[in-house]
This record gives sequence, structure tokens and C-alpha cells, in this order.
Amino acid sequence: MSIRRRDFVLGASTAAGLATLAAPAVLGQAKPKVLVIGGGPGGATAAKYIARDSQGAIEVTLIEPLRSYTTCFHSNLYLGGFRSFESITHGYDKLAGHGVKVVHAAASAIDRDKKQAVLADGARVAYDRAVVAPGIDLKYDSVPGWGREHEKTMPHAWKPGEQTSLLKARLDAVPDGGVIVVVAPPNPYRCPPGPYERVSMMAHALKQSGRTRCKIFVVDAKDSFSKQGLFQQGWERHYPGLVEWQGPKTHEGLKSVDPAAGTVATGFETYRNCALVNVIPAQMAGQIARDAGLANQTGFCPIKPESMQSAMDANIYVLGDATIAGDMPKSCFAANSQAKVAALMIRGELQHARTFPARYNNTCWSLIEADDAVKVGGRYEAKDGKIAAVETFVSKTDETPETRKQTQAENMGWYAGITADIFG
Amino acid sequence: MTLDAPYRGHALRILATVAIGMAAACLPHGAPRAADPALGAYLSSECVACHLASGVRVGGIPAIVGWPQEQFVAVMKAYRDGHRDNPVMHNVAARLTDEEIAALAAHFGALKPAPQ
Repeated sequence: MSIRRRDFVLGASTAAGLATLAAPAVLGQAKPKVLVIGGGPGGATAAKYIARDSQGAIEVTLIEPLRSYTTCFHSNLYLGGFRSFESITHGYDKLAGHGVKVVHAAASAIDRDKKQAVLADGARVAYDRAVVAPGIDLKYDSVPGWGREHEKTMPHAWKPGEQTSLLKARLDAVPDGGVIVVVAPPNPYRCPPGPYERVSMMAHALKQSGRTRCKIFVVDAKDSFSKQGLFQQGWERHYPGLVEWQGPKTHEGLKSVDPAAGTVATGFETYRNCALVNVIPAQMAGQIARDAGLANQTGFCPIKPESMQSAMDANIYVLGDATIAGDMPKSCFAANSQAKVAALMIRGELQHARTFPARYNNTCWSLIEADDAVKVGGRYEAKDGKIAAVETFVSKTDETPETRKQTQAENMGWYAGITADIFG
Repeated sequence: MTLDAPYRGHALRILATVAIGMAAACLPHGAPRAADPALGAYLSSECVACHLASGVRVGGIPAIVGWPQEQFVAVMKAYRDGHRDNPVMHNVAARLTDEEIAALAAHFGALKPAPQ
């Protein structure tokens, strides 16, 4: 009897010892570690909020290869001449002031079993929770005749930075009478109104410089698009005859592009000697998320709508354009909103911080012409297993010029606010 | 000096009302509930997606820092109840309870605008 009791006691203490060794850092002496992969609107916001609000109790490391981040949002305004490149480019210096350790390196893999990220140089960084916010990758095989090797000849400018300046330089070089073709992507993709704001800003730049004999053809993979009525009304009002949008029923399918010849062939028409072809291809979640098995067959990452926690791994949260976020669009505002929910839930897990039910929000402003901006937005919550829209709104076609001007003033103010929220 | 019965009753009612009022002011459940700082901080993260926490106005996005709390509450309720019609603000305010608006008013009211 006594031996058996002693065995029992020993067994219990051994089990307790093993449990301590296996426990996450949360329960031990070391600070819990959060690793954020990707320094865009989602990742940088999450890193800042976790570090700032945990007041040093959580060790936050942000892995981002770029030293500065040029925003996709408002890059169309740069194209139209409404903003400078410098004004849409932001450094990571201020995140350190909130306690974020910023490592400028590329993360090449996530070892989910060991809870480590592997950097390009082979170094490993351990985490208790990882935030994965890699944005999108382009599907280079989605447009026949076009691939990665053609992105300088036919730029996409759907990832920020060098491509943004390239597209602007190419637009500035279009001669009067030149033909521009914009290939618009299928759903789902980053920034639903983005291609159409881009077309508006291209038209503005052409009109401003007197190149009014130019023509912009939009060859779209979709039958309809975000704020369609507002954009089409704006194009007729401000740029009559300059923009022609074609859905699949009109162009009868994009057959191929020839980057060397500057040709775009559709079932309906072949555009030769184009002065500029902007190919915005189909998209998927950034490679690191797909390689780590965080995406499903759609190429994007399912998440739990209550928290932004990956549906594949409870130690990982996925944010922004890489996710399947239900009714929320892939927008900067959405990624920033999702990051705040994830930051709170992660602090709840690692720091026992008080949490509140997830609430999400989004607004997307688009500039059609100087002092003529429109907006679309909504609020969202976790419902029926997804992030569901509670109520949405969109600008109306009969708004006064004063309202449109005010909307553009909001747009500019929002940019200052959100970039301070992300990087400030 | 004595009061006639009806007046004595009136005076007692006044005294009783004052006493109840004083008691209510001392009891947590009778006084207005203090704003919840953690709730205010969480909800404020939605506001600073547009409004600068430094209290600087940029473009068409006004400063919301350092306002008297009752003014903040009145403006948010006006958006919530549709008396002000900016759709972005209505969208934000529509799901806020009185308690949440009070928490936000206390949060932003306590912040000091940065020197401009």
C-alpha cells in the first residue's frame, strides 16, 4: 500500500514537472513573445498596439524586409499628381518607441510545430503567438502572355514602391492620342475600388496635360465592380470619351497580351501599339502564409471571425488582404481594424488583459477628379461563422459638389490619421 | 411657530426629496456610472483610424481630443440618432450604447491636444 501511494505521489510530481516544461512562456518567468510577419497596415498596427498596450509585458518583434513602406492607398493620388511619392512613404522608426523590435529581414518560412519563424539567412525566431500579415501575391500565370518577367514592360503597380513610380513614369510618357489598357482583376483582390480610382487618376493626368485624344480601355474580368455607378457617372462627367469600361460580356474574354509588341487581344478587339498596358492580375495570399498551410483551396487564409485567429493554427493570427474576412473588403482600413481585434485577443491570451467582443469597421474613399471623391463603408461583426456586415453605406450619384469636396477633405484627413495610427 | 398641516406636508415632501437625492448621489447605483477606462481605450482604437490622437485637425477630419465630455456625448448621440448625417460617423456611432459613448467621451476628454 505504502509503495503504491509513494508511486502515485512521485508520478504526480513528475507529471507536474513536465507540464511546467511544456507550458508556454505565459505561465513561466520569461516574457511571452509575439512575432509579427509583415509591416503593412495589418502587421504594423498589430505590433504597435500589442507592444504599446502591454507596456513591456509582451516582447514584440516585427519582421519586415523593407526599410520604408510606400502605401498602396493614395498611390493613385500620386499617379494623378495629387500627392508626392515621399508623402505616401513611411518609416518604421516610431514603432521602436512603442517597444516593437523591428527586424529588417525577410521571413521565409514558419515552423508551426516548433513555433518558430525561419528568416532568409536561416536564423530562427521563436514565438508564443505569431501574427501573419503578408498581404497578397500576384498570380503571374493568370493573364495569358504575361508573367513576372514582363512586370517592367507591362507594370502591375499592385504592390507598392518601385512599381508605383514605374507606372507613373510610364503614364507621364504616354503621347497624346496613345492607347492605354488597364486589365482589371477577378474577385477577390486587394482594394476593390482601386483599379477604377486608378483609371480616374490616369484620366485626370491626361486631361490636365492636354492629352485629351488618348483613350483608356478597361478590360475587366468582372461583370460589375465597386462603386460602379459613381465611377461611370464621374468618367462621363469629367472625362467624356476618354474612358471605356468593358466587362466580359463586351470584350468576350481576355485572350492574351504581348508585352514586346504592346498588344492586348480580347475576343472582341485587339489593341495594338498600346502606349501603356497596366496588368492587374488575379491574387492570392502571400507565399509565407500559403507555404505554412494557413490558406485553403481558395489561396486565402480562413480565420475565426471572433478574433482573427487562423482557422488552421490557434497560435497564429492572420490579418488583412491574405485573409478570408467574410463581408469585409481587402482594404487598408480593414486590415488596421482587424489588427486591433487581434492585438486585444492576443493580450487577452498572453497577458490576461480584459477583452471585448470583436467589432470591425471599414471605409474606402476614392478620388474621381479634383474635389470629387466618393466613399463606401460599413461595420461588421462575427456572425454565423464569418465576419458579417451589419450595415453598409455608399455615396449617392446625386450628391452636391460641396459634399464631394468635403468627402475628399475627409479622404486626406483619414490618410494622415491612419498612417499615424499604423506607423506613428 | 407651527405650520398648518398642508404646508407641513409640503415641507416634509421637499425634505424627503432632498434626502433621496442626497442618498442617490452617494450610492453607486443611483449616480451616473463612472466611465469604463478599458472599454474607452478599446473603442477609441476605432476612432483613431481617422482622427489623430494628437488632437491635430487634418483636412476634413476634426480634432476630437480634450472636448468637454457632455459635448462629446451630445455629438455622438446626434450621429447615432441620425440628427447629424455623415454616413461614416453614423456607421461608427450606430452601435454605441450610452455607456460606450460615455467611455469614449472620458477617454478623449482626458487627452491633451498636442501644441500646434
